[in-house]
Amino acid sequence: MTDLSKIRNFSIVAHIDHGKSTLADRLLEECNTIDPREMEDQILDSMDLERERGITIKARAVRLNYTADDGENYVLNLIDTPGHVDFNYEVSRSLTACEGAILVVDASQGIEAQTLANTYLAIDAGLEVLPVVNKIDLPAARPQEVKQEVEDVIGIPAMDAPEISAKNGINIHSVLEMVVRDVPPPTGDREAPLQALIFDSQYDSYRGVVVYLRVKNGTVRAGMDIKMMATGATYKVVECGYLSPTGMVPAESLGAGEVGYLTASIKTVSDTRVGDTITGAENPTSEPLPGYKTVQPMVFSGIYPADGSKYGDLRDALEKLQLNDASMSYVQESSIALGFGFRCGFLGLLHMEVIMERLEREYNLDLITTAPNVVYHIYKTDGTQLEVYTPLNYPDPAEIEHSEEPFVKASIIAPQEYVGSIMELCQSRRGEFKDMSYLDTTRVELHYHMPLNEIIYDFFDSLKSKTRGYASLDYELIGYRPSKLVKLDILLNGEVIDALSFIIFSESAYARARKICERLKEHIPRQMFEIPVQAAIGGKIIARETIKAFRKDVLAKCYGGDITRKKKLLEKQKEGKKRMRSFGSVSVPSEAFMAVLKLDD
Amino acid sequence: MKNLGIYVHIPFCRSKCEYCDFYSLSGAKNKEFMGKYLSAVCAHMKECAPMAEDYVVDSVYFGGGTPSFFGAEGLERIYAEIKRRFYVDKSAEVSLEANPDSVSLRDLTKLRKAGFNRISLGVQSDDDLMLKKLGRPHNYEQAKYAVAAARRAGFENLSVDLMYGLPNQTMEGWENTVKNVLDLEPEHISCYGLKVEEGTPLWGYKDVAGLPDDDKQADMYLSAVDILQNAGLHQYEISNFARSGFACRHNLKYWNGDEYLSFGPTAASNFAGKRFTIARDLEGYIHGIETGGVVLSECETIPLRERAGEYVMLRLRTTEGVGKDEYMKAFLLPFAPLEKLFMKYEKQGLAVIENDRWRLTPKGFLVSNAILVELLEAQQKSTPLSKKR
Repeated sequence: MTDLSKIRNFSIVAHIDHGKSTLADRLLEECNTIDPREMEDQILDSMDLERERGITIKARAVRLNYTADDGENYVLNLIDTPGHVDFNYEVSRSLTACEGAILVVDASQGIEAQTLANTYLAIDAGLEVLPVVNKIDLPAARPQEVKQEVEDVIGIPAMDAPEISAKNGINIHSVLEMVVRDVPPPTGDREAPLQALIFDSQYDSYRGVVVYLRVKNGTVRAGMDIKMMATGATYKVVECGYLSPTGMVPAESLGAGEVGYLTASIKTVSDTRVGDTITGAENPTSEPLPGYKTVQPMVFSGIYPADGSKYGDLRDALEKLQLNDASMSYVQESSIALGFGFRCGFLGLLHMEVIMERLEREYNLDLITTAPNVVYHIYKTDGTQLEVYTPLNYPDPAEIEHSEEPFVKASIIAPQEYVGSIMELCQSRRGEFKDMSYLDTTRVELHYHMPLNEIIYDFFDSLKSKTRGYASLDYELIGYRPSKLVKLDILLNGEVIDALSFIIFSESAYARARKICERLKEHIPRQMFEIPVQAAIGGKIIARETIKAFRKDVLAKCYGGDITRKKKLLEKQKEGKKRMRSFGSVSVPSEAFMAVLKLDD
Repeated sequence: MKNLGIYVHIPFCRSKCEYCDFYSLSGAKNKEFMGKYLSAVCAHMKECAPMAEDYVVDSVYFGGGTPSFFGAEGLERIYAEIKRRFYVDKSAEVSLEANPDSVSLRDLTKLRKAGFNRISLGVQSDDDLMLKKLGRPHNYEQAKYAVAAARRAGFENLSVDLMYGLPNQTMEGWENTVKNVLDLEPEHISCYGLKVEEGTPLWGYKDVAGLPDDDKQADMYLSAVDILQNAGLHQYEISNFARSGFACRHNLKYWNGDEYLSFGPTAASNFAGKRFTIARDLEGYIHGIETGGVVLSECETIPLRERAGEYVMLRLRTTEGVGKDEYMKAFLLPFAPLEKLFMKYEKQGLAVIENDRWRLTPKGFLVSNAILVELLEAQQKSTPLSKKR
């Protein structure tokens, strides 16, 4: 066990793309933690998806051994965190396992929405926040101004912040020295009853659940009986140890102040709730550590296998995926149009996209997704209240007294020249302007109250395109507000396709209905007969398009040599049809469902 | 004795047309290989003939490529070899594909005398500018001459090939083409919609070629069916029209699932329960025949269940259509799943039933791929009828 005074637990927070994962790579290198042959970019982002998208989705913990300029050996536990707003909860979890946070700010971009959001999370968690100015080798770097901005906007001293380039390995050493010097060593009593915080868990098919923990008091050892305080479940520790960048390193014990993992033949992830406190079964602590507020999925969407017979595969895949991502929820749902599937809850659209991509990639599934929606509160005339997660459960309008929808406080930071177009965009999304302040002479921060529903579609994409990528966005839920809602139904060939229905603010219904009909017309191939595409509220049709029947699909010539070819051609056409869903006699490709989701202006 | 068709592929052309993806050589290679090819085909026939001892040949078809470009002498020699090796019926249909630029009265007379009795002329259009654009090596004047020459030579069964959906073709232009060609009084006309095939020169500039869209092509097709019907040329297959008694016997074998043996690269046979195809390689073919090597690229035995699919797919190309009892007896499969779909098509004007046989209407022919996909799906799901004791 390492002496408490020689341990530093810290994480790195930043806005997305400010170089967090690259800095982590450099710190690992500087400490010779990884054999240069095994080094790859974004080493902590072990999912392919994370590397491809250049984002961090899951938090990672890693232990570094560092010999500081004072000649002492230190153990540094670095916990990498995601930067995207969808994964805020991951950030706050990781932070409670640390005493300090490195705040990375891009020397040319300056403070962005998530720089602020994540810094506040760190300050709220009582962490020492240490700014670092990154990317100083860029021509547009303005480190002095950025430091000033940090002092002015966040209110923490920044003039001595290291100026570094994580990409080119400039000044990395000074970051490590700063961590040793300025991050407070952990406190705790290693003889006291065990109190350890679960900050993450992961399922491993060989070991069962691997629990990532930060020991606050006491000591945990292999062979010890432990108890999860929230669930009461008890286990015998099979193994505990440290997390090296390339894997788990078993150790005899983990004492107060240390960060590591344990396995205990735990089969169910739900028994090891993230945020729960682990204590000893024999000598338990009386007080659990302050936990986390449980993450509430904000966006819900139906997920169906493109091929109905793959329902079982989808269920298995979701089960497995949830073991590693407890923030996703799912319940069975059935649609007349799509058969059996699941209503899944996500933290946001990026989270949803990531899950979908992992399902398709890691589990080789073809999926149909229905339009995402938020959770609506419906107050019925009979005095009951309903939480509506899916349009399938939307009650008869006659039974509705009034409805409410979730609102968020959105914070947008952008260069001032884009204020006009941002305001226009927010207004078109029913945003209510709150205030605006200058971060420096050129950049402003705007606050809006907006319905969450308006954000989950394509708000972020529109915002980016209207500001040439300069704007950044953060939002948090502030509560429910009364709203006029309607359920919009889509009819193909006169039949309601329930999987295409969605709930929408009534005044937006007409425009959206028209657009969806147009989209469907574009994406549903012409078929043997004319197909009316209609949108309706209640029984009233409010938009219509027509997919004309195709006139020609024939092989004009078919003589001796063409017969085998023609057979293959029909076989191919049959396969193509299999990839479509048929509704009555209409075949709809799964792209059509996706097209309905993406309605950019 | 069973009937047999014989097909001979002549893979030589004066020049390649812009749209054509059939296998043929053009230019300098022609002379080099024609002689060798002649010997190879004859040797191949000698080799195959013993398999066909129980058959009587009732149709022979020389296709291409451009058979007429091969020269009357070569064609005569191959046909002589056929007669020497196989039992050819006296009233057999003996067809020859010809291009207007490679026929002469002298050659046609020779061929007629040798036993050829049907000629199919690749006219394609009456518009010289269009013909030039398509890379056809002839004009319409030559086409008219070729028809006259064939008649003089004694061909009483004459067919003309036409194409619609050509670059910048208008409805009016197409209708005029059909009417002008009707004035030549052919017994048979084939009308093919231009299909842009990958790998052809046309593929490269298809987007700027001014090709009529699918809807326009469909209209042109329906209009041709009408005009030809009124002129007494009845539709008997998706793209084929003939006066009574002049439907092409050989081509009907393809659509009726009858047996045929074929010679030459890319030629396909349906014989003794198998379908097999010769590789798309002239030199390989010649070499293979000379040395007793392999010349086939594909060979498969077709199980009954698949024959049932072929029956639906091929018969529905014809106006004979599919027969309920015929189908059930031949394949021991229920017809009801298909009939249910046919009844749906009938409502949509795509199919009709006559004398217990279902067939597609011209509108139905136009979307026959989609129809076939549905029918074949239904067929695949159907369970065989219990065998009769």
